[in-house]
Amino acid sequence: MSQWLNKVISDARGVDDFLAPMRQQSLNKLETDGWPHARSEEWRFTPLSSLKERVSNESSLDTSYNVPQIDGLESIDIVFVDGVLRTDISKLSLPHGLNLCAINNASTDMQDEISRLFGQVKPSRHVFGLVNDALCEQGVYISLDDNCEVDTPLRIINIAAQDCDAHTRALVNLGENSQLKVIEHGFGSQASFTTAFAEYMIGKEAKLEHYRFAFFTGAAKQVGGSHFSLQERANLNSTFVSYGSELSRVDVDIIHAGQHANAKMNAIYLLAEGELFDMHSTIEHAVPNGTTQENARGIIGDKARAVFSGRIHIHRDAQKTLAELNNRNLLLSRRAMINTKPELEIYADDVQCAHGATVAEIEEKALYYLMSRSIPRSKALVMLNFGFVQELVNAISNEPIKQWLLPMLSERFANMEVK
Amino acid sequence: MLNIKNLHARVEDKTIIQGLNLEVNPGEVHAIMGPNGAGKSTLGYVLSGREGYEVEQGEVSLNGNDLFEMEIEERASNGLFLAFQYPVEIPGVSNMEFMKESVNATREHRGEEPLSATEFLKQAKEACKQVQLPLDFLKRGVNEGFSGGEKKRNEIMQMILLKPSLCILDESDSGLDIDALKVVANGVNSQRDSARSFIVITHYQRLLDFIKPDFVHILANGKIVKSGDASLALKVENEGYAFLGKEFEEVSA
Amino acid sequence: MSEQIEQALDRKYEAGFYSEIESDTFESGLDESIIRRISEMKKEPQWMLDWRLKAYETWLKMDEPEWAHVHYPKIDFQAISYYSAPKSMADKPQSLDEVDPELLRTYEKLGIPLHEQEMLAGVAMDVVFDSVSVVTTFREKLAEAGVIFCSISEAVHTYPELVKKHLGSVVPRADNYYAALNSAVFTDGSFVYIPKGVRCPMELSTYFRINEMNTGQFERTLIVAEEGSHVSYLEGCTAPQRDENQLHAAVVELVALDDATIKYSTVQNWYPGDEDGKGGIYNFVTKRGICHTNAKISWTQVETGSAVTWKYPSCILKGDNSVGEFYSVALTRGRQQADTGTKMIHLGKNTRSTIISKGISAGKSNNTYRGLVKMGPKADGARNFTECDSLLIGDTCGAHTFPYIESRNPSAIVEHEATTSKVSDEQLFLCQQRGLNPEKAVSMIVNGFCKEVFKELPMEFAVEAGKLLEISLEGSVG
Repeated sequence: MSQWLNKVISDARGVDDFLAPMRQQSLNKLETDGWPHARSEEWRFTPLSSLKERVSNESSLDTSYNVPQIDGLESIDIVFVDGVLRTDISKLSLPHGLNLCAINNASTDMQDEISRLFGQVKPSRHVFGLVNDALCEQGVYISLDDNCEVDTPLRIINIAAQDCDAHTRALVNLGENSQLKVIEHGFGSQASFTTAFAEYMIGKEAKLEHYRFAFFTGAAKQVGGSHFSLQERANLNSTFVSYGSELSRVDVDIIHAGQHANAKMNAIYLLAEGELFDMHSTIEHAVPNGTTQENARGIIGDKARAVFSGRIHIHRDAQKTLAELNNRNLLLSRRAMINTKPELEIYADDVQCAHGATVAEIEEKALYYLMSRSIPRSKALVMLNFGFVQELVNAISNEPIKQWLLPMLSERFANMEVK
Repeated sequence: MLNIKNLHARVEDKTIIQGLNLEVNPGEVHAIMGPNGAGKSTLGYVLSGREGYEVEQGEVSLNGNDLFEMEIEERASNGLFLAFQYPVEIPGVSNMEFMKESVNATREHRGEEPLSATEFLKQAKEACKQVQLPLDFLKRGVNEGFSGGEKKRNEIMQMILLKPSLCILDESDSGLDIDALKVVANGVNSQRDSARSFIVITHYQRLLDFIKPDFVHILANGKIVKSGDASLALKVENEGYAFLGKEFEEVSA
Repeated sequence: MSEQIEQALDRKYEAGFYSEIESDTFESGLDESIIRRISEMKKEPQWMLDWRLKAYETWLKMDEPEWAHVHYPKIDFQAISYYSAPKSMADKPQSLDEVDPELLRTYEKLGIPLHEQEMLAGVAMDVVFDSVSVVTTFREKLAEAGVIFCSISEAVHTYPELVKKHLGSVVPRADNYYAALNSAVFTDGSFVYIPKGVRCPMELSTYFRINEMNTGQFERTLIVAEEGSHVSYLEGCTAPQRDENQLHAAVVELVALDDATIKYSTVQNWYPGDEDGKGGIYNFVTKRGICHTNAKISWTQVETGSAVTWKYPSCILKGDNSVGEFYSVALTRGRQQADTGTKMIHLGKNTRSTIISKGISAGKSNNTYRGLVKMGPKADGARNFTECDSLLIGDTCGAHTFPYIESRNPSAIVEHEATTSKVSDEQLFLCQQRGLNPEKAVSMIVNGFCKEVFKELPMEFAVEAGKLLEISLEGSVG
């Protein structure tokens, strides 16, 4: 057992609200499972030692935070600072049909709705998800009425500012034939530990455009996840962009619960210095006729380490499924490292599934070509390698987000040590 | 040879062939033309026994035997050959092993000894030459990575090797340029004799410039609505299917 | 249509007979005294016994592994007999004429005549029956070239220095649970030594047969290819049909010194158990080779048998420019479970590896590819290419792919691709339209799917393997 986890368990006993029965279940599982074994498949390549004996401090309230803006993007902002919902700095003018409430401030009706969604999409896969179940006193429940289209993106902002533990949760419920854009935007560079999980129930024929930016660097540790359940003919288009920190981990689950749903997911990770980033994605095809396409690309520089695990699981009944996953990696330095594991687990015969993973080097011929056109080596390397992730950035349909990301990522890349 | 009486057949819930009659005698070449959706390809599939093509009523005899009593491969061994419009690829299985198994299965059915490897190879090379396929196609996987035209020629090559008594060519001309078309037609013509019969399913008259039919039938709404000699095909070429009645006016050949 | 295909896959296990041969079989159970007795039976020198005992000590301290995706009842290691040999072998027959005719008949029935003049020309064979090697053929001819091919028991006596030097050098005693067990109780197996610069004049082959009830087979094979030498080796295995499970835990070690090439092929057809998963062999095998500079090790396997298979023939590419290859066909049906793949550990510069895996799942079976490709920090310019294809037949089986890829070198390139497919109705229809019955059609399509692997088998055995798959696919089509 770990000192930190013991503290978590004893703290969790004090949480008593309408979610208590569900929290208790997770707590029981936490106690049975205990601290992950070094060989546990979930954490095999991601060291948790920095967390095991962590001593967490109390947070103090402080108001001077700059909420980062995305130029040209009008958004509804829900801001959490160190796990506390800050209505004072949130921008909350809600369009018709979009409903929002804080978990710790929900009416009885809302409590019922929240209970129906809490923990229903996120699997109880690992210790930190369970910790979040038990401890997330703060969180939001968002629901969108049937047939409602909201064009203004909703941004759930998570700022890790102080050295404390913070646990937040977002529950999003899209009614039938509705459309919504959600950005989960997290960042921090100070020593801290946060967990942030989001669960999405995408109703029949509803459409979700989703982004998750996990910009945690330095000693800001975060473990989180975005989990999606797709009903009949639902549509998900999701983009993940991540940096790495002492410990940064994102879990994604895409669950086809209704037929003819379509999911597309792109992920980019750009790691420098001694950063670690770990992405675990699971695609569950439980019913026939679903389509999933996943593309994850990473550039790993300096002494950074990336872990990618991408699983496609086709259940017995999921005939006529089309599922593809591709993971490509570039290592920039001798001290960088990648562990990738694409997995297929297939129990239906009439399906089309494929996965691929590559680890490649910089194309010497192309490099030579650019240099012969008098482009300096360092610049040429940036052009060649960055093109590899730029393709996925260019696939983003939201223009302000694309324009905001490109210079930010290329600057980060330009500062990486090459070879 | 082949005698089709009052054939009705459906695919899933939809009846496609609706009372078709046709008699093909040894040595005859019958062309079947018709607008899209008339049931031309369906006829080939029903006769060869493809799964999902269900016979509702009617009788078909092939060389005096009840066709519908036979499995797909028995029909083939009894001399029925279907040249596919879109032949499927079988990765890793070479054309050569495929044809060897096929030829010998047919020979076994006739109570003949299997061909020796050398004799088979000789015949296979000869067949390749006739349709102008390079010999290395024998070693390549069945249709694997073949172009559309190569696939069509490969079908004719197989036909030449198998020496069937009834050949059904399902749009063997579609997607071919004039040179490839001539190659296919020459391959077919080389196999014409007083015993072998052909049903040539086509959308276009131009194939019939090269393979001269004895009879031309127009298939519409699942039955033969008009039969004639080669001149009927020319009429279709010039006038479309309008002469069949108002409902076919839009569909021109 | 898939029902038709499944029926086409129905097969008889032709090697399932039992030979009435009087045997000396140890009572079941495992303790130090059993290991001493095995060593005594083989009149082993002290160092060999010490080596076994150390392995046993290690094994006792290890935990029995539990594997994800593989399910079988716990093995009772005390219920297994660790040694069984035909009585007639006790006084070491000097030639085939002295071998029990019933034994010879067993091999004839399996299609393996042991008289040299009747054998496949160009193939020398070591024949292991339960715990002992019965005979090794063509020894004189091989000796002329300086090649040593004998049972490992004999090698311990005749070439102790070679055995001491290499045994356990690739698969250490403590490598894993079953390797440790094997190191403690191994009974027989083959030993091959190819001197410097020699190209082995014949194919070498070992045929393993389990006959006795309740015995485990723990064979140990060691192949050493000196600088610039070349050898091709093939093993085959069968066992009688029984309702009880039997354990087969082998260890194979290959040492390819500079510029040497070892080609190792396996046609594995242990009894797979019946339709309902009753009986069959547990095949838990550790196979690994080490490649020195410019050396090459190529593993080819055709796996159709065993109730549970757990094996990952691997290459440690230690020397610069060394090459590792793995070609595999695994066919599972009934309730078989196969968890197989390879590990390619790239340590040297410009090392290259190729992995081609073809899994065919039918019935209620599960077929898993599990592999590891590791690029070490010094593996500059290393390359790997992996292709894993699965063919599913019916919707009651499973096909899984778990590749682990790790790279620590920016100039190394790893490419992994996996796909899944089925025998399509269109393919079956085309074959049937050309006069083939569905059984033949399926067998042909499946063979085509496996072609890339079959072409890697030594010519003498390619036909054999094709036939094996054919037998596997043969059956009644209703």
